[in-house]
Amino acid sequence: MASLALPPAQRLATSAVVLIATVLFARSLGSIPEGGRELALSALLGLAFGVFLQRSRFCFFCVSRDFMENRDARGLLGIVAALALGILGYHVLFDAFLPIPAPGRMPPEAHVGPLSWVLAAGAFVFGIGMSLSGSCISAHLYRLGEGAIASLFALLGALLGFVLGFASWNTLYLAGIQEAPVVWLPHHLGYAGSVLVQLLALGGIALLLWRHHRATEIPDAADAAGAQSFWERRWPTYVGGLLIAFVAVLSYLRVGPLGVTAELGSIARTGANAMAWLPSRLEGLDTFSGCATVIKETLWSNNGVFILSLVLGSLAAALLAGDFKPRRPSLPEVGRALAGGVLMGWGAMVALGCTIGTLLSGIMAGAASGWVFAVFVGLGLWLGWKARQRLGWM
Amino acid sequence: MKHIKKLLLIGNFILGLGLLPGLAQAAPSDFLVSTDWLEKNIKDTKLRLIEVSVNPGLFERGHIPGAVNFKWHTDLVDPVRRDIVSKDNFESLLRKAGVSEGNTIVLYGDTNNWFAAWGAWVFDIYGVQNVKLLDGGRKKWEAEGRPLTARAAVPAAGNIKVSAANTALRARLGDVVAAAEKKTDVALVDIRSADEYNGKVFAPAGVQELSIRAGHIPGAVNVVWSQAVAADGTFKSVEELKKLYAAAGIDGSKPIITYCRIGERSSHTWFALTKLLGYEVRNYDGSWTEYGNTVGVPINNPAGTVWGAT
Repeated sequence: MASLALPPAQRLATSAVVLIATVLFARSLGSIPEGGRELALSALLGLAFGVFLQRSRFCFFCVSRDFMENRDARGLLGIVAALALGILGYHVLFDAFLPIPAPGRMPPEAHVGPLSWVLAAGAFVFGIGMSLSGSCISAHLYRLGEGAIASLFALLGALLGFVLGFASWNTLYLAGIQEAPVVWLPHHLGYAGSVLVQLLALGGIALLLWRHHRATEIPDAADAAGAQSFWERRWPTYVGGLLIAFVAVLSYLRVGPLGVTAELGSIARTGANAMAWLPSRLEGLDTFSGCATVIKETLWSNNGVFILSLVLGSLAAALLAGDFKPRRPSLPEVGRALAGGVLMGWGAMVALGCTIGTLLSGIMAGAASGWVFAVFVGLGLWLGWKARQRLGWM
Repeated sequence: MKHIKKLLLIGNFILGLGLLPGLAQAAPSDFLVSTDWLEKNIKDTKLRLIEVSVNPGLFERGHIPGAVNFKWHTDLVDPVRRDIVSKDNFESLLRKAGVSEGNTIVLYGDTNNWFAAWGAWVFDIYGVQNVKLLDGGRKKWEAEGRPLTARAAVPAAGNIKVSAANTALRARLGDVVAAAEKKTDVALVDIRSADEYNGKVFAPAGVQELSIRAGHIPGAVNVVWSQAVAADGTFKSVEELKKLYAAAGIDGSKPIITYCRIGERSSHTWFALTKLLGYEVRNYDGSWTEYGNTVGVPINNPAGTVWGAT
């Protein structure tokens, strides 16, 4: 039984300072006329999201690696739990927003993207980038709160990747995306059918994972020390997954679907646009729902304050748990983070989102694009992991 | 109190004598409802509330209880050719929204009712009766802390029949060119920003669809739509509106055509001039994106901006 003793006063105090500062930041956003309420709420949801990601180690690459290396399926099952609860919540909201899923009608802003080979390619490349850099974009964001300096380079790489994505967008759009169908399951199955089919699919996946799960408790670094206090022990992934599904549904109700790349993309687009690196018109891009990127006109955007608060939330959680350990990365690590980041940035741009925006928010919304992303990101991740092993980068 | 009422009555009588030809004119309250009135009458079974907002996700995350959602880009226009919605599609849209003969329809929306006013114009073209705007729109309703709901209603189908399109409310390119060439005696009102009117810019910031010529239709006066609106988003009083437009030479003595970039903000001014002031007004929905791209029509471009020039 882990000790319930409070963490040292210094950790408690610094963590509290970060938490209070973030809440005050959210409060100050609330006074902005028109949209201030949504900004403030985005900041609070980001704060919660950051805490949940950090505490439950909700990292798509890490949990996949646990399974591939140690046959520990608990992490992946946590993601399945998040998807299942999120699907239920989203469909309850859909039924309120758009009582009849008539053809031609879409729920507002739900991340339902075009189904094309570009989506598959983007997801695949994103998966390789995850393996190369050690995690996906959302996990790099929460790692930033743990003091991981390499993650900074991964995010920098992602910005570059976004610029490459924008530069290649017009060609890809005309070659593959423009005529691609946008498949929303409720259009074909109704809300009940969409829930049923997707929950059955998740059930099948969970069963498969469980069959391959090696039940031996593998003590990983975080859980090893038996003396760890309640405050230091990581939460099981499924706990994080269920809480994240709750945040996802609340966010969709009040602000929009969860995503972590819209702001990165907007910064990249605004910068590259100012440098005149991009075509003056990105065909069709602004007509898709997904992690929408826009030329920045105001300092604060909902997604911008969301990811800023995410990092702060993770920082607060990491400080409290003693997980805040800044470490100088080696040069090869920096190189891998940067290169992986570029691949992820390009992939997230052409796939209109990442593991959060397209996979999580897409599958919850009954988007076929979310499932396609999941399959190909898994393939890319597996291939990247194999390559890493062969090159001895583990 | 009694005395004041009496005085008002006498005043009205005198005013009425002065405006004898306008005796049949409707009062503004026939076309506007206040947020207060709406909240009190929201349960009225004869009331049909319709939101026409331009920003996606607004209606779904919170609308005035009982409202149905019309989408400007798909419901109120023809999605293939550039035109307003066809009569059949409009009738079925209204029936699906539960509109029947004898209903009172209240329209409201975001961005100062721009698109709701476009809606009112389309309703008028198809001869739908008892159509009013919520004065101040969503903005005022929200600012006053009145309730919103995220649950969309599914009304039972209505039985309304709409008339054939009344072309007298709609100006076409030919009408506007004739006015520009002084072949007809028509007053043109350009309600865009002064920079668009003067040809300094082709379109407002952030707008992609533009004309390849800048400026305005010769003879048009510039009265920016927002001048018709008070700080809380409601229309200014009839007296203020009269003064505002008279200062620009628009006094209702001759027929008026309003236009903007795509015809939706100008519906707002169309509403003020035709419904609140009772003038004879047509809205030119082709607006500057049609006129400024048309070959061989006269243009006044004070700023002299040249498209594509480096």
